Amino acid sequence: MEKSLFRYIWNHSKRDQLFICFVVLLSQPFYFISLDLPRQIVNQAIQGEAFKDGNVTAPFLQLGFDWPQWLGGGSVQIFEGFQLGRVGLLIGLSCLFLFFVVVNNGFKYWVNIAKGVLGERMLRRMRFDLFAMVLRFTPEALRTIKSSETATIIKDEVEPIGGFIGDAFITPALLGLQASTALFFIMVQNVWLGLMALGVIAVQFTIIPRLRRELLRLGKERQLASRELAGRIGEVLDGIEVVHVHNAYAWERAEIGNRLFSLFSIRLKIYNRKFAVKFLNNFLSQVTPFLFYAVGGYFALRGTLDIGQLVAVISAYRELPPPLKELIDWDQQRLDVQVKYDQVTQHFAEERLGPMIDSKVDADDIRLTGKLAAEGLSLSGPHGDLVVENASFALDLPAKVALISNGGPAASLMARVLARRVSGYSGDVAIGDNNLAQLPASITGRRIAYAGVDPILFPGSIRDNLVYGLRLKPLGRTEEDRRENARRIAEAARTGNPFESIADQWIDYGRLGLKDEQELDRVLVDLLERVEMGEAIYLFGLAGWIDPERHAALAERLVEARCRLRENFQANGMADLVAPFDIDRYNDQASIAENLLFGVAISDDFRGRNLAENPLFREAIDKAGLTDVLAEMGLQIAETMTEIFQGLPPGHSLFAQFSFIGAEELPEFQAILRRRAKGAQDLRREERTRLISLPLAYIEAKHRLGLLDDGLKERIVEARSFVRETLEKAGANGVEFLDPDRICAAAPLRDNLLFGRVNYQVADARHRVAEAVAAVIREFDLLEDVERIGLDHEVGTAGRLLSPQERASVNLVRCLVKRPDILVIDGALAPFDEERAQKILQALIELLDQQSLFMVLPNDRQAAAFDVQMRFSDGRIVAEKTADPQGRTRKPEAEPARSITGEVA
Amino acid sequence: MTLETEVQSLRQVPMFRDIDPARLKLLAFTSERVQFAAGQRFFSQGDPSDAAYVLLDGKASVLLNTPNGEIQVAQLAGNSLLGEMGILSDSPRSATITAAEPTTALRIDKRVFLELLAQFPQMSLAVMRELAQRLERTNAQLVAQSS
Repeated sequence: MEKSLFRYIWNHSKRDQLFICFVVLLSQPFYFISLDLPRQIVNQAIQGEAFKDGNVTAPFLQLGFDWPQWLGGGSVQIFEGFQLGRVGLLIGLSCLFLFFVVVNNGFKYWVNIAKGVLGERMLRRMRFDLFAMVLRFTPEALRTIKSSETATIIKDEVEPIGGFIGDAFITPALLGLQASTALFFIMVQNVWLGLMALGVIAVQFTIIPRLRRELLRLGKERQLASRELAGRIGEVLDGIEVVHVHNAYAWERAEIGNRLFSLFSIRLKIYNRKFAVKFLNNFLSQVTPFLFYAVGGYFALRGTLDIGQLVAVISAYRELPPPLKELIDWDQQRLDVQVKYDQVTQHFAEERLGPMIDSKVDADDIRLTGKLAAEGLSLSGPHGDLVVENASFALDLPAKVALISNGGPAASLMARVLARRVSGYSGDVAIGDNNLAQLPASITGRRIAYAGVDPILFPGSIRDNLVYGLRLKPLGRTEEDRRENARRIAEAARTGNPFESIADQWIDYGRLGLKDEQELDRVLVDLLERVEMGEAIYLFGLAGWIDPERHAALAERLVEARCRLRENFQANGMADLVAPFDIDRYNDQASIAENLLFGVAISDDFRGRNLAENPLFREAIDKAGLTDVLAEMGLQIAETMTEIFQGLPPGHSLFAQFSFIGAEELPEFQAILRRRAKGAQDLRREERTRLISLPLAYIEAKHRLGLLDDGLKERIVEARSFVRETLEKAGANGVEFLDPDRICAAAPLRDNLLFGRVNYQVADARHRVAEAVAAVIREFDLLEDVERIGLDHEVGTAGRLLSPQERASVNLVRCLVKRPDILVIDGALAPFDEERAQKILQALIELLDQQSLFMVLPNDRQAAAFDVQMRFSDGRIVAEKTADPQGRTRKPEAEPARSITGEVA
Repeated sequence: MTLETEVQSLRQVPMFRDIDPARLKLLAFTSERVQFAAGQRFFSQGDPSDAAYVLLDGKASVLLNTPNGEIQVAQLAGNSLLGEMGILSDSPRSATITAAEPTTALRIDKRVFLELLAQFPQMSLAVMRELAQRLERTNAQLVAQSS
């Protein structure tokens, strides 16, 4: 980026800036006329100057001008105007005034919008430029750069710069013009007084910036300190586990407290300085009139200056300070944002950035096969020592190569060289005729995949993460609203942003040899199974949701499967394992809330404790006459809970796990109970709500407090219709009601299949139900659909919703689905135990039949399966062929039927 | 059957005899009541110990693996506590337990049980007393056998 903010602004917005300046200049005459009109209204119309020679009428809208004396004098009449009477002139001039007010405001409106838009465009450009530079940070720079700091820079620090950009050139131009006009007028009246004013201004413009230097230094300091604060907060949040483990709360609190104190101190210094400078500035502005009165008055008394002139000078000077003051304010703002800009550009300094990445160049696609040769390769380790020195080797690709570590970093470094993750090495590595270091990113990105020890996942679904490497460029297949699209592209062009739309189709299925998204899903699921994630994706699918509108056929089959599952339970004597949902019967395995709603909550207003507060729900249970019954049950639950959880310290894990009442609420419930014990009959409204919330979560079979008898169960079942009616009448769509013949979109897939609750009281019920579900899914050939739904599972921030093994599997499949010519694996199998790692390795070798695999191994125990074993010792690399790679010739055994069971809740 | 009846059953177990009713209620509340079909396994010898059971209703057989297959060494009936040694000593199951007839039991989760012991010294003392008494009985049996 440009060193100077003004150069940056000028380079990217000169056309707009000049155009706005032009419009501002254009508006000036109108502005002056509108200032002049009130005087005319008073003088000409009201005081009647225009009619003083006994004229009955006066010209209105007369247009013309006088030639100056040196051009021969005389006057030109363009339009002689309308002859109007006194009232007519008053009305005419007033209307004219109104007209100019409108015109002026129109100009102002346009200029403000244009300035705002210009600022926003420049801000967009600047943010995008900065983000583009984020992508270019070198690995070395990335070790010291904090992500949260960079984020605040791009988001917050450039914001005021954007606000300033609209004023960057226009304000000084306009104000400078006004100030110099006033100064010129003074000069014309009296050169000496003019020079005096000029002198004071010169003093102002030299001293003030000097005083502000300290202010700028403080501003810089403040910016860095607040950026570090953001960075520190990000760090604490990222490492929150360590804070918890080591009970470092006090230290972290003090740390942040100290930072806030130093921020405050800097701010205080800034205030002191800033207002001192302002004071001086105001003083200097007022000194000039003092000089005018004193010196000018002295000259006037001496008779060297005419009094009229002095008055004119003083009144002209009155025009001078406001623009001058604003100009100085602008200058202050300019310095502020310049400092900010400097700080921002320092963060993105050239030496921290790698070369421009042009991923778009569609160079001829080349396959990375043939001879891999390294010549005079030297690699330095993390401590700057040479771990590989002047090594050479050659081998033919495709091959499966084991990089057998000698305990040092050499093998890992070599893997990173091959994956183009390190650039700082000497020597040449070439594949075929191509130097590896010089291959364009478009080819290496497509042909080389690298799975390191730390799988990096982005928030989104598993599918989004898996296809991350396939999104090479938009294919322009999606029909967009053409006008909206044109607008988007035009804006992108004006701000140096990319033209591609993310709504477009970015995956080229054809290149992968696939027909559509569905086939890709199948490939993804298949690969996930190969890397030991089949069961997890199946379980994610069971826990996932389907949209019955979008997948109507699937929804229909699921309903069929649901019926079959029920039949199977009946036929196999498993009927007691699941309590089915039945509109006419109470479900002992479900909570009272579920029994009352007979549906699944969609909005939070109908979930958990909120249900007890929900006015519609309350109205319904009132109608059903259950309010008092539920409150009474609440009292009983509260009583039991206070009795049995007494003596457990608050915050004990048993509270959280078992109690209906949180430890912090216990005293409030105890207070209610005490009031009742004293004979208080009436309950306050919020107490009642509190009490009702307790039985809503009560599940008879699980909690066994014996609160429900058959009569009550029947009344609850009857209340279902009240609830449904009330909700439907009010048009509330917070609950999706259950229907045995339809899929409930709000419930997960497994709940939809079961359409009931697993019996809490039958030993091992969950496991047996899961097996039965799996059998039906196989029977109806739904496995693939379920797993496809599993691909929608969210991975969470940095993949935290997945286990380490699952993260590693996703990372591997993300590499495999690209079908790279070269797959480099360095520690990606570490989360797996030896048996599974061995299985995955075998799968990788089979999958990459025609491609190359480079894998870092801690020792040579697994190396026998590879074609080539690369060893590292004393800075040298030896690549030797394995005589007879194991496990390659044997035919893949018939795969045992995969067990898909897992837990079904 | 409700919590109250389960508390009554727990009270019949020697180890829990002297514990406060409120604590027994907590123990019952934090446990699960499960039904086993005849022949269904509670757990198998060698499994990790994850829970203890109190038989509420029905009978359970204790089986040991021998070179000649499983043999039944004992039968337990109502209100017996089983599997508690495994969760206290953190060792794998020393025997297999199956339901001899349709049986209902209270499943006491290991983690919850240990938390309760850690929280309430009275419960720990009751467990210790019971274990000491068992040791004493074993000693007496040894003496009787050797003499």
